[in-house]
Amino acid sequence: MSRRALVLALAVTLVAVGCEGSASSDNDRELTVAAAASLTAAFTRIGADFQEGTGVAVVFTFGPSDGLATQIVEGAPVDVFASASPAWMDAIIERGPGVRRRTNFARNRLAVIVPADNPANIYELDDLANEGVQLVLAAQGVPAGDYAREILASAGIADAGLANVVSNEEDVAGVVTKVLTGEADAGIAYVTDVTTEVAGRISVVEIPDDVNVIATYPIAVMADSGRPDIAREFVEFVLGPGQGVLADHGFLPAE
Amino acid sequence: MASSRPSSRTPAAWIPLAAIGIALVALPMIGLLLRAPWSRIGEVLGGEAALTALRLSLVVATAASVLSLVTGFPLAWLLARRPFAGKTLVRALVVMPLVMPPVVAGVGLLAAFGRRGVVGSLLDQWFGLQLTFTTGAAVLAAWFVSFPLAVLALEAGLRGLDERLEDAASTLGASRGYVLRRITLPLLAPQIAAAAVLSWARALGEFGATITFAGNLRGRTQTLPLAVFERLQTDPDAAFGLSLLLIAVAFVVIFGLRGRFLR
Repeated sequence: MSRRALVLALAVTLVAVGCEGSASSDNDRELTVAAAASLTAAFTRIGADFQEGTGVAVVFTFGPSDGLATQIVEGAPVDVFASASPAWMDAIIERGPGVRRRTNFARNRLAVIVPADNPANIYELDDLANEGVQLVLAAQGVPAGDYAREILASAGIADAGLANVVSNEEDVAGVVTKVLTGEADAGIAYVTDVTTEVAGRISVVEIPDDVNVIATYPIAVMADSGRPDIAREFVEFVLGPGQGVLADHGFLPAE
Repeated sequence: MASSRPSSRTPAAWIPLAAIGIALVALPMIGLLLRAPWSRIGEVLGGEAALTALRLSLVVATAASVLSLVTGFPLAWLLARRPFAGKTLVRALVVMPLVMPPVVAGVGLLAAFGRRGVVGSLLDQWFGLQLTFTTGAAVLAAWFVSFPLAVLALEAGLRGLDERLEDAASTLGASRGYVLRRITLPLLAPQIAAAAVLSWARALGEFGATITFAGNLRGRTQTLPLAVFERLQTDPDAAFGLSLLLIAVAFVVIFGLRGRFLR
């Protein structure tokens, strides 16, 4: 009995492994790209264009750059990573698997976003320090969260501003959601987060250039990618035809 | 009798399948044990952030469990004992939070109790009350997801109860309150405990609805699962340690009550 059981267990395992093997072998038509949440709209479009041109389907996983980096370090099978901060690309180099073909491909600015009816009367950055403002930021460690804290510090309102924080969101998309639904009075997000879909329900309060942060976005092929050639092709595509799409979505070109 | 030769009655194929099943649930926990930052476990678990999150988690889960029992018992009683129109619909509604993705639950809670929600806007207008971003919102989210487990456990218990015992007491002149206190509730104690533990454990692990509806702020809405998630991004070691703490707390409760109420 136990031998039959063992044989069955082996068979189950082999079938499982077999499925895995066959699935990845003819997966040259598919590419996995992990990208910062702030790239969701632009990269979805770029991915569709890339598929139209090459026939390779791009599977995206969007999320906070730090969370994605952690997943990649833990062994998530990702071919290309696009981060909202150089720091999390560095993490992949330091803690594995390493990268190839690293380039900066875009820059982004931050802005204060408020619900269209602006319940807390936020008209400039310093208003975030007003008493009772319900401010939402991305969590510390999330690029947008770190940038936001830098901005509050440069503006000299770190203490009062941070005291108004009612939630540290898991990524910048969470910040936009809380402002969009009117739960929060204000948030700090990327200017590119105010997409045409939400433009009517969110107002933007510009952050002065002298305190604003310009976020640099690096992209790279993961060293352990099983499809390095297609991955490289995708990076080239982002640097080429993708630039127009990124500009349409409010990104600045890389320096 | 049956226990003297159990193996001859167990189909051979079941053993490896059962092994896969148990490995599926055990391996992630073993993985956590191996990855936990044992060299700095005291610093991670004894730290202010961990203790704050643990305390908040215990408060939120306990409050949610109590609310689930108090509101779940009357509903379970109606479902088990009284015929009424639309019972099938009510029963389907009650289990919805179990099958709903937690983030959907969070969006739903926002739509109902958020500042612009159906109920939330009235609360804001009438009392100047805002639930979102408060500990109350975390409790509400946990209550929402743990409520079905309490109702299901209590309803099953009430169905299994011999109503004749209650009838006999009534015939002998006992008031309804007396019957409830002295007959129904004591007989139902194991199911009430099971309902409490199940809803408490579910509330303890709640993440998606909480972060969507209540937000994430240390000391106010950052329960242990949210603390794990936040730490995973800045200090993965600490996240592994906190996960272990969360599992240990839940395991001690479930395991400690196993013989008595859960079989």
